[in-house]
Amino acid sequence: MREFAFVRPTNVEQAVELVTGDPDAAYLAGGTTLVDLMKDGVLRPRRVVDIARLPLREVIRTDHAVTVGALTTMEELAAEPVLAERAPVLREALLAGASTQLRNMATIGGNLLQRARCRYFRDPSVRACNKRSPGSGCAAVDESARMHAILGAGESCIALHASDLAVALVALDAVVHLQGTTGTRRVPLTEFYRVPGSTPERENVLEHGQLITAVEIPLPAAGTASGYLKIRDRASYEFALVSAAAVLEIRDGVIHDARMGLGGVGTIPWRAPTAESLLRGARPGTGVFRAAAASAIRDTFTVPGTAFKVALARRTIERALSTVSGGTP
Amino acid sequence: MSFEPPLVRTAVQVNGFERKLEADARLTLLDALRDVIGLTGTKKGCDQGACGACTVLLEGRRVLSCLTLAAQCDGRQVTTIEALAGDDLHPLQAAFIRRDAFQCGFCTSGQIMSAVALLDEGRAGSDDEIREFMSGNLCRCGAYPNIVAAIRDVAGGRNHDA
Amino acid sequence: MTPEPRVIGLGLDRVDGPAKVTGAATYTMDVAVAGLLHAALVRSTFAIGTITSIETAQAAAAPGVVAVFTHHNAPRMKKPSWNLITPPPPVPLQDASVHHYGQYIAMVVAETPQQATAAAALIRVEHKAATASLSLDAPALKARSNPYFLDAKRGDVESALAAADITVDATFSTKANAHNPLGLFSTVAYWEGGRLVVHDSTQNPYLIRDSLAKVFSVSKDKVQVLVPYVGGAFGAGLRLWQHVILTAMAARAVGRPVKTVLTRPQMFTGIGHRPATIQRMRIGALRDGTITAIDHEATSTAAKVANVLYPVTLSTPATYRCDNVRGRDRQVRLDIPSPAHMRGPGEAEGNFALETALDEVAYAIGMDPIDLRMRNYAKVHPQTGLAWSSKALDECYRQGAERFGWADRTPRPRSMRDGHWLVGYGMAGVTYGHFQAKCHASLTVRDDGTVLVRSGATDIGQGTYTVITQVAADGLGLDPANVRFELGDTDLPRAPQAGGSGLATALSNAVRDATVNAIAALLSLASADHASPLHGCSARDVVVAGGRIHRKDDASRSETYGAILTRNGRSELTVQGSSAPSRAETGVLLGSLAVSRMGRAGRRLVEATHAIAPAGAFAAHFVEVRVDPLLGRLRVKRMVSAVDAGQVLNEKLARSQIVGGIVGGIGQALFEEITTDEGSGRVSNATLADYLVPVNADVPDIDVVFVGEPDSDNAVGVKGIGEIGLVGVAAAIGNAVHHATGKRLRSLPFTITELMD
Repeated sequence: MREFAFVRPTNVEQAVELVTGDPDAAYLAGGTTLVDLMKDGVLRPRRVVDIARLPLREVIRTDHAVTVGALTTMEELAAEPVLAERAPVLREALLAGASTQLRNMATIGGNLLQRARCRYFRDPSVRACNKRSPGSGCAAVDESARMHAILGAGESCIALHASDLAVALVALDAVVHLQGTTGTRRVPLTEFYRVPGSTPERENVLEHGQLITAVEIPLPAAGTASGYLKIRDRASYEFALVSAAAVLEIRDGVIHDARMGLGGVGTIPWRAPTAESLLRGARPGTGVFRAAAASAIRDTFTVPGTAFKVALARRTIERALSTVSGGTP
Repeated sequence: MSFEPPLVRTAVQVNGFERKLEADARLTLLDALRDVIGLTGTKKGCDQGACGACTVLLEGRRVLSCLTLAAQCDGRQVTTIEALAGDDLHPLQAAFIRRDAFQCGFCTSGQIMSAVALLDEGRAGSDDEIREFMSGNLCRCGAYPNIVAAIRDVAGGRNHDA
Repeated sequence: MTPEPRVIGLGLDRVDGPAKVTGAATYTMDVAVAGLLHAALVRSTFAIGTITSIETAQAAAAPGVVAVFTHHNAPRMKKPSWNLITPPPPVPLQDASVHHYGQYIAMVVAETPQQATAAAALIRVEHKAATASLSLDAPALKARSNPYFLDAKRGDVESALAAADITVDATFSTKANAHNPLGLFSTVAYWEGGRLVVHDSTQNPYLIRDSLAKVFSVSKDKVQVLVPYVGGAFGAGLRLWQHVILTAMAARAVGRPVKTVLTRPQMFTGIGHRPATIQRMRIGALRDGTITAIDHEATSTAAKVANVLYPVTLSTPATYRCDNVRGRDRQVRLDIPSPAHMRGPGEAEGNFALETALDEVAYAIGMDPIDLRMRNYAKVHPQTGLAWSSKALDECYRQGAERFGWADRTPRPRSMRDGHWLVGYGMAGVTYGHFQAKCHASLTVRDDGTVLVRSGATDIGQGTYTVITQVAADGLGLDPANVRFELGDTDLPRAPQAGGSGLATALSNAVRDATVNAIAALLSLASADHASPLHGCSARDVVVAGGRIHRKDDASRSETYGAILTRNGRSELTVQGSSAPSRAETGVLLGSLAVSRMGRAGRRLVEATHAIAPAGAFAAHFVEVRVDPLLGRLRVKRMVSAVDAGQVLNEKLARSQIVGGIVGGIGQALFEEITTDEGSGRVSNATLADYLVPVNADVPDIDVVFVGEPDSDNAVGVKGIGEIGLVGVAAAIGNAVHHATGKRLRSLPFTITELMD
């Protein structure tokens, strides 16, 4: 780890100014991404700005939404009773991620900004990584990468966005609140992330120094069913091979509203709008679930190690829809 | 080229005692405990946040000390394995011995600290719940079934007391 | 006097338990000495070639750096002695050549670990890489046949296969696995006036001592290796690794103590791994279940840079009664870090092929897998025809099946179901070889009635501290609380490695011998003493109990050890004890080879010796799995293992050891595989987040039952059980998966891809 100066600003404005004004500065919240990648020599800030004590930890509930301070930890949010009542998908996704220790550290804002789990990105001894060194190539594409993306991926980058939480949040149409030196703005999470394209180093719309201050989560209508299904080799404590967040509002035997988020497959937390439109207005059943699943996993980019994810993702969607709709396939 | 950032002054409450550090900002809580304060009961199994051997309580919650900078803990309460036993072993320590919930013993401090928190979190309601919420602590000797049994014993005892 | 219950076998708590649950146990990485410096190692990022330049000026000038070593300035060192079982990898930093990814090419020593690590990242290396051979399927590789001279055969396999009613001919593969003990391997070294003291994460302190003495050209008594606790090892601690040499080298060069703690990624390249194998198994059988031929051929990987004794087919000829058997090993040398023995080395891989193929035979002829195994039960050692020293594998099958509820199994694949999940039952048997080495111990009886036992063995978690305390207490009729056992120090009597499932046998018999010698020595004091109630007694006239020696003819006449010592003006008395493998052990090996070379004439010759075949442990594993065929998920639901462990020394700890082995087997079957990049040989999953080992949620309840009797080949009756828990688990799980799904998986680890319908 390279040497750095450690500073702890006392308010949000000061923090934002500190980081915005210094290209070598980085925010430190829970540390589960930053400290890890600093040890690996991937992130090399000269100034670390500790924001963990800033007053961004409130969870405010209204009838229609929950607004979560960005420094709320994953465990704290999972314990909010409203999640179990109104958005089980969110609670399940939170608790499916990492371990309790990591969830006690990791913040909601930090989770959304976690960096790729790609072992080529995380090892500076590997030269080719467009995300780490733009223009150097992608070593993962040439190797037997398994924990990698098949959607939003291409020759330039196949690194996965491994957050479970973000998958549920994109399905719930969450909105992030950003603060910069020039003011604040709100960005729907579905528009927050950027697929790698030719600039894999740009993972989202944040400018350097902009801070996520809160995440606003609209609550599904009462009676909406939701759930998170995560498929992995181990029974616990592993990133998803594939995951699906399903939110279904079924009225009188007809799917009134459907929202799907997918994990383990995308370079960004993946929303599946075509699957949703197929589901809306349909009666729940194997046929429509299968069609929705097929439509969600299209235009994939696979390498030999990730080819299995195409079928696995479709089946996971099918199972998730079937479980959430209360049926058994 | 020469970049010499100032040392960071930190005062951490470790097991009830204030420990003042004037240290390299890179110092993790784990290395501070082990190398500076001399409490080596907390173990380094990966230094990458993947094994749970370095689990300690920070403000009563279980965290990984290898991914926590010492500087982040200024004014905070840290509890390590060394603080659990008084004149007698902590019930979990005794249960770990009775159930033979370790072999090499290297992951044990982390397992026990994690289990202390697990009980506080109210997550020892069933064997499956214990298994799930203890899965952040790897044990390569494979003592898992005995770890579950030890925690079950103590959780069961608590329920009787209640 | 009523005989007290024996202390041996009792499920006492670990004597090192309090130290381990309070964080007080001092592992190598916990050692702090005054003036300690910290080292960081730089590894090659390519597999094979030459370092053309290495730039260290920036690192040397970095804050806190005391020294930087490369092949340019590292002191020249001698090679350690060659050793077939644990051949040492080459001495590091002696020239510019690189033989595998991850080879150490520089070392930075600094005041703090943070400074050392940061400075190491500043070293710039230029290199010229050559094309590396990295995997078993690399083109144009030459496999060496019979590389260990242990290939065995009997009868005529080809004719028997041709005449069989059914044959199974299948190819199996297993992947490289990493030991990944939770404790990062560490070394602390310092020199005190020409004497080297080394704290190390080793299973074999004497090997480290002897090897370092050779490397640094000092006499063995000038090297002391200390290892009171090891944070797991699983075979990784059986060799002298390069970081140990480098740490001692650096400490000598800078004149201060140096500590090296390997990083987790370095643990994947610097301390060995279980090599990959490809195996072909052919079995011929008659319709009635008689197995008429077994032909087992296995190819495993080794490093070009250091050989390793790694027979995979060794156990196959010793497992079933079958007239025509062949076990052939082949070895492919690659540009990889050296493999090492890992829990059940070769045995685990070979058993997977044999016990899976046997399940295939059972299905092919429509016979229950246990009936098939019993039909071909080897009542005598099948290669030599010699009687086993003990064998209760039949009891393992019987009791295991009963506890498991094997009778409830409906044999047809996919015939059992629970909601989404297909249910499968599977089993496998294990015949584990016997191993014992020479061992010494000392025993001191003090006038306060306490006893100190000492031997330079290691307890890597298997429970040596505890079981040896029990053996000594048992031999002297003492409460174990009055016995203390010290280990992990080469200044103590010489003990063998904690490995090969052999330490418990060797050490318990050495300590048993010491207790006998202690009683004899005390008795010789008392016997000559008219004031003693034991006057005139010899060993056969007395028994020990309650910390006293009693006359058999009058149990009321007795004396404490302390009283004997005090009256003789002694504060303590020290005796030695030792044990050695019986001649039968070598006999079986030579006998097996004689049969291989000389056929029936050899067999008659061996049988005429009426020797005994010393038996290792036997086991049968039973497993229930759940497979979700839509999503390819596989979960182990429950397991029962029945083990013939001979005389169990501590039932609680023995059970833990078997459970631990089983968990390792679950890892091998479901998760574990080191993946490497083409070209560079870089390990692409070298973290505990990427290389998966079982977590708590992967492990179900495991029921272990011990069967059988004390073994007749050694006085205590022990069989080693450090490895048998792991061996056979992969086959049992695979067989259960077949029962659940109808799919026969022959490649480890089993993957979601294969399990999806």
